Amino acid sequence: MAEENSFDRSAASAEAQGDAAFAARLLADLPSVPASGALQACILADFDAVAAKRNASLWAVALRPVRKLRDAVWPSAPAWQPASIFALSLVLGLAAGALVPSSALTGAGSGQDETQTFDTIPSLDLSGDF
Amino acid sequence: MRIDPDAELVARVGRGDRAAAQALMARHLPKMLTLARRMLRDRSEAEDAVQEAFLRLWTHAARWKPGQAKFETWLYRVTLNQCYDRLRRKPTLGLTAAAHVADPGRGPLAELENAGLAAEIEAALAELPERQRAAILLCHTQERGNIEAAEILGVSVEALESLLARGRRTLRIKLAHLKDG
Repeated sequence: MAEENSFDRSAASAEAQGDAAFAARLLADLPSVPASGALQACILADFDAVAAKRNASLWAVALRPVRKLRDAVWPSAPAWQPASIFALSLVLGLAAGALVPSSALTGAGSGQDETQTFDTIPSLDLSGDF
Repeated sequence: MRIDPDAELVARVGRGDRAAAQALMARHLPKMLTLARRMLRDRSEAEDAVQEAFLRLWTHAARWKPGQAKFETWLYRVTLNQCYDRLRRKPTLGLTAAAHVADPGRGPLAELENAGLAAEIEAALAELPERQRAAILLCHTQERGNIEAAEILGVSVEALESLLARGRRTLRIKLAHLKDG
């Protein structure tokens, strides 16, 4: 009985090997399928579209805090308006910092005098005749 | 640890490198197309399946983590899944389409004879159940080892061997008149 089983197994194994060799010989004859230029162009066009979309979304992520700030400062305005006002303020501030002499800003005399002039209560002489 | 020959290219594709995408396509497209063509027996459906598989690749490349799985295994699995989807949508797809495959390297008579032979083999393959067909194609025409083919199909090596054995047996019975012995 054991011998019969062993014989069956080896026969099945030989048959399986024969099937494998047959399939290998047969399928080796099948030519490969060449890819057309149009297909390659379509696949690369897909790549370009995905890359463009990804770049756009990276910009969107990078600009999100700027947009939040813009909406807080100047709601529903186009981005160039707050951006240009901010740039103008920056330029004016820098220009003032560079051009205005420091003595004019920190001088001890003139500013205080003017303040005193404005703050001084005018003295009225009420002793005279009306 | 095995080194994935595609890892560098996939990382570059993830960073948006078009030359890397082109290189990856040149490396894998012919085999993927051949596999899809044999699974579906329809050129235009096979091209759609492969294009869709590449689209998945372009979309997921940035998130690809080397070392988790071999890239090629993943790519073949995606391609096969695309083929299965199409076969399920059009169950007659594999059986009805024409099977002319030109071989530009031979003369007209040899080409005709070869095309007839290829058509007969493809017809026999098309009659196999999907999984048996995929197993046979991966191991015999795509030069995948049993372990890798099992990974691609998502089955154990034993299950793959069973699929192969049944598929080969059916092919031999159907095509015995061609080359037996």
